Amino acid sequence: MCGIAGIATQHAGSIAIEKLARMAAAIQHRGPDGYGFYTGLHAGFAHVRLSIIDVAGGAQPLTNEDGQIVITYNGEVYNHVELRRELESSGHVFRTRSDTEVLVHAYEEWGAGMLSRLNGQFAFAISDARDQSVFIARDRFGVRPLFFTEQRGNLYFASELKALLASGDVKAAVDPQALDEVFTFWAMRPPRSGLRGIHSLEPGTYGLWRDGRLVLHRYYELDFPERDVEPRDAIERLDELMRMGVDLRMRADVPVGAYLSGGLDSSITATLAAAASPHTLRSFSITFDDPRFDESAYQRDAARAIGSMHSIASMGVNTIAESFPDVIWHTETPLTRTAAAPMFHLARLTKNAGIKVVLTGEGADELFLGYDLFKEVAVRRFCLRRPDSTARPRLFDRLYPYLLDGGSGGEFWRRFFLEAGAPDDPLFSHLPRFQLTSWIKQFYSAEFRAGLSGIDVAEEVRQSLPTRFFRWSALNKAAYLEMTLLLSPYLLSSQGDRMAMAHGVEGRFPFLDHRLFEFAAALPTGSRLCGLKEKEILRRWARRILPDRISERGKQPYRAPDAPSFFGPDAPEYIGDALSAGSIRGTGVFSPTAVAGLVRRCQSGRATGVRENQALVAVLSTQLWHDRFVAQPVNPRMLDVAAADVVLQDAIPVS
Amino acid sequence: MPYETQVRGRVRQFLEENFLYMRPDFVLGDDDRLLERGIIDSMGVAEMVTFIEDEFGIKTSDEDISEANLGSLRAIGRFVAQKRATIAA
Repeated sequence: MCGIAGIATQHAGSIAIEKLARMAAAIQHRGPDGYGFYTGLHAGFAHVRLSIIDVAGGAQPLTNEDGQIVITYNGEVYNHVELRRELESSGHVFRTRSDTEVLVHAYEEWGAGMLSRLNGQFAFAISDARDQSVFIARDRFGVRPLFFTEQRGNLYFASELKALLASGDVKAAVDPQALDEVFTFWAMRPPRSGLRGIHSLEPGTYGLWRDGRLVLHRYYELDFPERDVEPRDAIERLDELMRMGVDLRMRADVPVGAYLSGGLDSSITATLAAAASPHTLRSFSITFDDPRFDESAYQRDAARAIGSMHSIASMGVNTIAESFPDVIWHTETPLTRTAAAPMFHLARLTKNAGIKVVLTGEGADELFLGYDLFKEVAVRRFCLRRPDSTARPRLFDRLYPYLLDGGSGGEFWRRFFLEAGAPDDPLFSHLPRFQLTSWIKQFYSAEFRAGLSGIDVAEEVRQSLPTRFFRWSALNKAAYLEMTLLLSPYLLSSQGDRMAMAHGVEGRFPFLDHRLFEFAAALPTGSRLCGLKEKEILRRWARRILPDRISERGKQPYRAPDAPSFFGPDAPEYIGDALSAGSIRGTGVFSPTAVAGLVRRCQSGRATGVRENQALVAVLSTQLWHDRFVAQPVNPRMLDVAAADVVLQDAIPVS
Repeated sequence: MPYETQVRGRVRQFLEENFLYMRPDFVLGDDDRLLERGIIDSMGVAEMVTFIEDEFGIKTSDEDISEANLGSLRAIGRFVAQKRATIAA
């Protein structure tokens, strides 16, 4: 796992290696083990390396035999062994054992058609001197990030925004609609990046840059060809896919560890990893000092069952606040929740234990309908069939006991869920979340709100839905929205890649093997959500490998404390500066008066509800984000070119 | 000033300071439904009940916490006045 950056130009020989060295320095956290550069006539690449496969021979950028094709690559292609065999049988000669070189030859052999053969998580760029093109691509589900911008006939790309800004050629300006998307969906939708003119390459997409023009193509689309009946061999097929998915992701020349929350999904991946590991598996989890949020007993129980050597990092009341500026530096986006911060500390714990690669359970909730949101869809649809029923809405009490605390308060939430939207609205499943999150918009400044006049981000989603969406069941529609609006741009990014790579840790996601997704997407939804029992088929299968107390464990919603962390007696000083009227006015997104009211409520300990907590996180993260990426230039040091592991010039190796 | 009017005024001020501080242009009518209009959520109900108990020296039972008693400023004024009258009696 690594970081990549580069420039493609129509002005031959105009790319200064110093510029690439600045871009690489900005993302060195992604690859602390080494770095390299390539400067050709029409393209220049940078690479920072986290050594995992072929530690000795996998340095990048890397070329083919005649130096015409050069790659800079972030990711893992797990089936590289099988692809190498196929390519060797077609006459390709390999110099290294790395999966990087497999991609070079795969591109030579199949061009863009290579992408459908890859099983993995990746973002890469390939320069082809034969036609002076640059090919950029990103994996199916958007595990690895890739941003790009076109400026004055040049293409700039990088794993993170900060590398683009560090080039000195790319200016940062706020994209108001991107922020409006965060304050609706929790994350902005690719291709938006938060900054005007800078784009996130959409998952399952590649781009071909030639003659100063970038043309984008989609190579993978989510589909849900749901069957009426569960196949008789479904459990055996699931067993095979789960084991293959984990075994492939254990391929590494360094020890592989696991995140283990104590829940079903990570217990599955950690159990299979432990079985496939030649060493005692190292596992890691996070918990909170506050006993109300302490799940360490579950975590230790799961670790005992798995037989892993387990480490737990405990977060104090101020830990989230203290690390929040660093978290935002790495997420590169405003947030509405602080859940990224614990992941930041989990990655640090992992790195300090000497582990660079971890398997996690990410993706299981989307594939097997694990989230409460999916149950909520079922309950809301059930209630709306008989709107006059007073008994049916009581099902919400079972779903959200911590929200529906009895009395008239519960009435608010029941009303909220039932009035959020009609079942024939394509966004029906997500409207309660969108409406709850949109409460933040009341804090907008008048100017910012005026700038959004005529923009309806939810309507834009409706208009963007593919035709096949309308053929799917309500639950599969919800799953599609969850995967495109939340999994890729938020969970895999702000809580995934960005937090792990902040510490040079690579996450691997067996549930996001595309073959497993395609298997799950074709199951009847009843096999995944049976009544109100989530992940039914996964639990049925997991009894083979886990004790019942773990395979039957319900989902623990993440509910870390927000406001107390930022306003307790030991809260960090930066918060007062960031939320001052002058700072709020300077950023321009929120109203200083409204924020002052929120701060007053937080300081008095009254801001205990979901809505004010998310508003606080939104305001504070926006302030930090604006300060680091827009108000001041990103200007890191430059990596020492003379100390690079690889320097290629004009596609001819010189070192 | 009638007691119910005074109660409505104090509760209105409380709601404006704590739940409408980000919407200075919002005009809260006596008959506006507090839940329906999204002015308070479940946590807000608990907070408002605590305020009413402390401010007006009354106690509320679980059965008291209903849309009929607390659903609007007018309902709250009537409810508090009735409670106070019960205490005085």
